[in-house]
Amino acid sequence: MKVTLKWLKDFIDIDLTPEELANKLTNSGNEVEEIIYQDRFLKHVVVGKILDIQKHPNADKLVVCKVDIGEIIQIVTAAKNIKVGDKVPVSLPGADLANGIHIEKSKLRGVESNGMFCSIEELGVTDYDGDANGIMILDDDAVIGEDIAKALLMDDVIFDINVTANRPDCMSVIGIAHEISALTGKPLKKQDLSYETCDCDEDVSNYINVVVKDEKLCPRYIACAVKDVKIEKSPRWLRARLVSVGIKPINNIVDITNYVLVEYGQPMHAFDYDYIDGKQIIVRSATDSEKILTLNHNTYDLDNSMLCICDKNKPIVIAGIIGGMNSCVEPTTKTTILESACFDRASIRRTSRKIGVRTDSTARFEKGVDCSLQPLGMKRALNLVYKLNAGKIIKGEIDTIKEIPKDKTFKFSLSKIFKLLGVTIPNNDVLNILNNLGIKSSIKEDDLECLVPYYRQDIECDADIAEELIRIYGYEVYDNIDAKPLSGTSVTIGKHDSVLYLARSLKQQLCSYGFYETVNFSICSVNDRDKLLIDETNHLYNMIKIANPISEDIGYLRTTMANSMFNTVAYNLSHKNDEFRLFEVGRVYLPKQLPLTELPDEINILSFCSVCKRDDFFVFKGVVENLLRDFDISYDLVYSSKCYLHKGISADIIDKKTGKCIGSFGKVHPKVAENFDISPNTYYGELNLDFLSSCQEKKHSVQPISKYPYVDRDLAIVCDEDVTVKQILDCVKKSCGKLYYSAKVFDIYRSSELNNKKSVAFSFRLESKDKTLTDDEINQVVHKILKDLEFKLKAVLR
Amino acid sequence: MLEQVQSLLSQAKKQIEECQDLKVLNDIRVEYLGKQGKITNLLHSMKDIDKEERPKAGQLINSARQEIEGLIKDVQIKLNEKVLEEKMANEKVDISEPSKVIEKGEIHPLHKVFDKLIDACVSMGFTVLTGPEVEYDYYNFEALNVPKDHPARDMQDTFFITDNILMRSQTSSVQVRAMQSMKPPFKIVSPGRTYRADSDATHSPVFHQFEGLVVDKNVSMVDLKSMLTQLLKMLFGENTKIRFRPSYFPFTEPSVEVDATCPSCGGKGCRLCKNTGYMELLGAGMVNPKVLEMSGIDSNQYTGFAFGPGVDRLAMVVNKIPDLRMMFENDMKFLEQMK
Repeated sequence: MKVTLKWLKDFIDIDLTPEELANKLTNSGNEVEEIIYQDRFLKHVVVGKILDIQKHPNADKLVVCKVDIGEIIQIVTAAKNIKVGDKVPVSLPGADLANGIHIEKSKLRGVESNGMFCSIEELGVTDYDGDANGIMILDDDAVIGEDIAKALLMDDVIFDINVTANRPDCMSVIGIAHEISALTGKPLKKQDLSYETCDCDEDVSNYINVVVKDEKLCPRYIACAVKDVKIEKSPRWLRARLVSVGIKPINNIVDITNYVLVEYGQPMHAFDYDYIDGKQIIVRSATDSEKILTLNHNTYDLDNSMLCICDKNKPIVIAGIIGGMNSCVEPTTKTTILESACFDRASIRRTSRKIGVRTDSTARFEKGVDCSLQPLGMKRALNLVYKLNAGKIIKGEIDTIKEIPKDKTFKFSLSKIFKLLGVTIPNNDVLNILNNLGIKSSIKEDDLECLVPYYRQDIECDADIAEELIRIYGYEVYDNIDAKPLSGTSVTIGKHDSVLYLARSLKQQLCSYGFYETVNFSICSVNDRDKLLIDETNHLYNMIKIANPISEDIGYLRTTMANSMFNTVAYNLSHKNDEFRLFEVGRVYLPKQLPLTELPDEINILSFCSVCKRDDFFVFKGVVENLLRDFDISYDLVYSSKCYLHKGISADIIDKKTGKCIGSFGKVHPKVAENFDISPNTYYGELNLDFLSSCQEKKHSVQPISKYPYVDRDLAIVCDEDVTVKQILDCVKKSCGKLYYSAKVFDIYRSSELNNKKSVAFSFRLESKDKTLTDDEINQVVHKILKDLEFKLKAVLR
Repeated sequence: MLEQVQSLLSQAKKQIEECQDLKVLNDIRVEYLGKQGKITNLLHSMKDIDKEERPKAGQLINSARQEIEGLIKDVQIKLNEKVLEEKMANEKVDISEPSKVIEKGEIHPLHKVFDKLIDACVSMGFTVLTGPEVEYDYYNFEALNVPKDHPARDMQDTFFITDNILMRSQTSSVQVRAMQSMKPPFKIVSPGRTYRADSDATHSPVFHQFEGLVVDKNVSMVDLKSMLTQLLKMLFGENTKIRFRPSYFPFTEPSVEVDATCPSCGGKGCRLCKNTGYMELLGAGMVNPKVLEMSGIDSNQYTGFAFGPGVDRLAMVVNKIPDLRMMFENDMKFLEQMK
């Protein structure tokens, strides 16, 4: 929101520099985002009067002018729209204009030129009726030699303030003036808002009747009438003020309503009385079939959630948002009805969003205009009508409020306030701060009694007053306080989150295997689903859709980590990274049903991936085995059912106790690799962290080490391709019986000589706790192993 | 005899001393001490000597034999050592060749900061809690004193799923869940992902927050300040100072923005802090009594403070990351810089 220094000075004396004032406002909660000096492009630009225009001796398109700027100077120009006697803006050497031009003395085709005449674009002027392309022609009463900033009333300083949502009362010049008063201790100036009504018997009630259908949505509506209206341009000072805060001047009546909006924060509206059917204003919700053509030349379909100002037959304003063309004030307007109303902020906010229109009026109403402000706004508007002689004010006002809102008295506790702040503020500072904020206060021992103005709806409890005090008193008070951390609090025992803590240890392990952690978006494109070959029959198909996405690429919640990872792999491959290992800890979002009626399951997953020549399925298997080793679980590996993995080079990890799938890993499905444009030699794995965090840590019970020699033997067998290593080792284990200690495969050999069979070489170790095994005993075991392998797996000794 | 022995001895000594090779040394040993060796032959020739002189001559020869044996042994040790040295010299490797162990990966800079914050807070008695990212409007807004259609909702553009289910726009939602499930006094922190419909050079639609909440009987803004000072010192160094500026959040009162002295210039002013000497790092405040009451905590008895830094920003400041987007592109050229 913008306010200007001069405008503020109408309300309070300010002897701070603009920068000092901005600092004070920022440090008390009204952040000044920008200080704009209106004259920043107008330095060294003055009013000049053209005395003489002569042809340029060497150029047809140029003329040589004598200009009076307090002294007579010579300027060469190509301008066409000037004549002798015109007063124009003259930029002199040293000027830096709005369009970036820097002015210096120069010679144009051999003739000296000591400056330049300016157009409105070069000056940054927006409010001008003349030819926008030519030189700006000033009014006749402009003073020769005067700074142009002063002549154009562009010598103000504008503050762009970020008003927080809890302070709608600061959305106005008077609101900011109140804050300055509290900050500087200077009182507000008394305002003269007087006006005279016209000398006739009429009363506003002869003109108009106001009916409010829903007082919750419109707690207050004040209407006044002005007749014999002379619609014309507003005076320069008023237009200049509006322009300075970014509002376009229209005509005197509309400008007055906008002026009041900026000055007091009360949005107003003016109707052309002759277009109000039935001489009746009805504040009601629209019906579903109604439409309105508004001042921005758009037509909106209304519905019954939208509050409107209507006449007997039709909506004439979308309440608090924008007026209709059908009743707006025009040059032909004879009589106008002025509206100063209060609308429910939530309703305005909803409607504004629905139709997509935000105006200065909406900006105030949706933050909350309180219902004590309307009379003041109306008073100021009528005062301006009177001052500008814009029409005859009819006696009386229609005010729909039944009970005038009153300021509330609160009793606060000083000790509680100081306890919350952790610092003490002297009583007289407390009183000064509050009284200057307009909160009449007194202190009796611990009691702080405050009469809180109605417009300070945000003040209700000790904490609210604490904030008012500390923000004005200054947060610097904390700068030098150095207490022990949390010394005022009870002793509590710190505790990690089990999933995060587990994830951390697994992450560290992955790092030591050369994996780097990534952070991917958990929202993705719905197309990823097809790329992963997920079809309707798959539970991963049901993705939650964001109702208002900013882009379709991130319009859905992922149901697997795989697409995030594959997209990141693709990104890296296309950015000249060709060998890498990555992992991510994140969530997938599985809805119980769609559309959502309850929160989805959010599952924490560890996903990991490798694009490395040296990595294959068995490297990943080793990584998984090691990651799972610390848990008290036993699992089986079965060929994976994950549609995005290679059917024959992948595994699901199945918990034996519950039958649940803890995770999966393997080579990426060739089609998926193609879809994501990644290497077909990409390996991917995922583990369910929620499941793992529910598992116990593995418990160990250490066995004694046998005193007798361990016996190692190697055997090589030939078997069919589909006999698995697991089957062989299981068989060996069983055959060894009590003597079994360990067995492992150390070589698998395939050759055409073996007739589509494979040779598997394994070693096994036998152990006896109570004696040295004899050759005979060992040979018996070997014999049994071979017999069993042959019988069960049709495997023979090689 | 004596002369013969002495001559043999000095001859042997010379040969042994000059010997540079184990094989030659062995030849010398055979030459003198072998079965047909010169010394051995002398012993054999004893029978030709007078009986009386025999013991003396035997002694003489034996001591010569011992001396030669000793000398050979010494040289043998020396030569063995020399051979070993030569062998090792030949086996020398180029130690600048690459290692054969897989090079370690790294934790993402974002999570390095998360982990530091979590560890610091757990050590200060905080319980780490997480909450759902797909959240009810109630926990994300209403119970935090932001009713439907409240102007404060404009402070953040929220992704909605349905009318009352949304992508949480702040980890403060976990505050509410904590207050409703735990009995004060308690201290909690909640790290996690948050979402806003905002995407530009300084805003990511997915970002990360670290929410902290303390509810107890005597909590004041001084506790808030000292706690945050401690946390930020841990991240940015012991000389870090912080300051408060007034702000507004619906769920805290008073509310503050917290600035820390710029870790780059230490508060002198530089390009990174736009010459202010400070960096805006997080929002904080005393828990609004209304929020306590809404979650069933007696605000007459208990007060609390809350804070919520954006962790992406902290990670950027800590690691001088020039562009927010680098954090989520996961380019290896970025990740490898965390080594």
